[in-house]
Amino acid sequence: MTSNRIQYTLLGIAVIFALVYLFPLYWMYVTALKSGTEIFAIPPTFVPNEPNWGVFGYVWEVRGMGKFLWNSLVIATGTMIITAGLGTGCAYVLARYRNVWIDVALFLILMLQVLPASLMITPLFVGFSQIGLLNTPRFAVILAVSAKAMPFFVILVRATFMAVPGELEEAALVDGNSRVGAFVSIVLPLAKNGVLVSAILIFMQAFGEFVYSKSIIQDVNLQPASVGLNAFMGPNTIEWNNIMAYATIYVTPILAAFVLLQQRIVAGLTSGALK
Amino acid sequence: MTSPLQIELKAVNKYYGNFHALKNIDLAVPSGTFVALVGPSGCGKSTLLRSLAGLEETSGGKMEIAGVDVTDMPPRKRDVAMVFQSYALYPHMTVAQNLTYSLRIQKVAKAELRAAAEKVAASIGLTELLDRYPRELSGGQRQRVAMGRAIIRNPKVFLFDEPLSNLDASLRVQMRKEIRALHDRLGATTVYVTHDQIEAMTMADHVVVLRAGVIEQQASPMTLYERPTSKFVAGFIGSPAMNFIEGKICDNGTSVMLEMAGAPKLDIVQKVTPNMPVTVGIRPEHIRVAPSEECDFSLPVTLIETTGTMSYVSLGTAPELSLMLTDRTVFSVGDNIGLVVDKARIHLFDPKTEQAIT
Repeated sequence: MTSNRIQYTLLGIAVIFALVYLFPLYWMYVTALKSGTEIFAIPPTFVPNEPNWGVFGYVWEVRGMGKFLWNSLVIATGTMIITAGLGTGCAYVLARYRNVWIDVALFLILMLQVLPASLMITPLFVGFSQIGLLNTPRFAVILAVSAKAMPFFVILVRATFMAVPGELEEAALVDGNSRVGAFVSIVLPLAKNGVLVSAILIFMQAFGEFVYSKSIIQDVNLQPASVGLNAFMGPNTIEWNNIMAYATIYVTPILAAFVLLQQRIVAGLTSGALK
Repeated sequence: MTSPLQIELKAVNKYYGNFHALKNIDLAVPSGTFVALVGPSGCGKSTLLRSLAGLEETSGGKMEIAGVDVTDMPPRKRDVAMVFQSYALYPHMTVAQNLTYSLRIQKVAKAELRAAAEKVAASIGLTELLDRYPRELSGGQRQRVAMGRAIIRNPKVFLFDEPLSNLDASLRVQMRKEIRALHDRLGATTVYVTHDQIEAMTMADHVVVLRAGVIEQQASPMTLYERPTSKFVAGFIGSPAMNFIEGKICDNGTSVMLEMAGAPKLDIVQKVTPNMPVTVGIRPEHIRVAPSEECDFSLPVTLIETTGTMSYVSLGTAPELSLMLTDRTVFSVGDNIGLVVDKARIHLFDPKTEQAIT
């Protein structure tokens, strides 16, 4: 009885927290649809009186969002490909071998995770500028973001690989396959879920990346949506509905993807999901 | 043995860091032989099997399979098939795909694949299950798939790594027979690792007893049973285990005095140095109950375990003595019973070296 009541209380608290966290998202959506005066009305309205649906098309046109989102997509896709391509092999090695050097490598990888982007950007900027990478700024950002995302990816995918029994691989070797063949035909299909989910998370992270893009990409035509949004907000901004409409267009696809894939993402993260 | 050697190991050594896991292993297996590697856990039997499969690198020595030096060959070139303890079925493939995995690597034509899978499935009773996934099978069925995957390749050598240890007792007895029947039908050469001496004794033509990385003795099952060369082998082979009693050879050299209540004397068949201390080994099945006037010694009964076909009786002495009777017991706990030992089947060991005295 009492344990039931505790459960309901905890559930209630969780729901309240979730509402508090989600409130800004809700506020973004309603503000986008409100008119200028309604935004500043006191008391505030929670449902817009006369929703203005035209705002999305207007903002898309005026701010040239097509190219911003395209740049975000390029950066996110590039980051995902580099991270998944290099990180999968790395995670596999870290999962299969056990010795002191592996422990050292794991420690270093975790250290990388600790360093904040705002700290790393200055040395990166100087370095990139010296080797001429700033001439291809989107590629420079892809490299920087990949380096930042790699530890997270490697740690997640390593856990997935560790859940694949070594005997399966040995069976494949005895059955006549090479090491690479065994990895591709046995280990990878079994770790597929974890690798995919981690790659998607990296994609989403890179899609919203701001610090590196803001510092490295000077050309407006190559900037991603996050930097574009930042440029939209000047010190004296009053067109909050347009800004919120921009944000809505930017986030909604990611949110939708997350909701659709939610079950697989959770399953992939809590993997050991083999049997 | 006249058949050619299918497996030959010469002075194979294996180190894990400083740990010497296999010490100078010599083994010769004629074609068509069923060899069991048996020993307590950590004795190196699995390491030896995995070295044969190429999953472990050896640190020294030479390995030949069917006359080809495979010492430095990767597993895929050795043409051996292995059945793992966990079966190691590929979870994302159906039974048919599991069976034909090795054939697909060899690029066998698609049409032949299904036919091969069906043929093997029929021979081990899996026909109905070809399109199922491993997770949908029972333990015994998985075991069969693992065996089928080995059979389909027609390999030079079959390797089994404790394949029955995850099955329940009755299924284990049945699979024991099936594996041996399969071996005979295929005319295969098999190396079978087990910690269960009964599996080794019942299935194998040749049993290799390992202990701490050394081959303690290798021989046919009955030779191991009748003429163990060391106390370790004597105690390991046979169930319940052999009784060991300390003793001393008498002045005449033809009888031994046991160090237990009443200091009974047993005549022995072999001739031994007088006054030598010895460890006397007597199997539980070689002691029988006798009327007091003809018995060698008598002891009180402390425990009777009855299985229906047999009774295991424990007798109060230190260390405890056990005997195995097939006839009904007519005594109960606490009774003193007279015992006769089968003199021809007494084993003597040197207490220091633990080697058999011959």
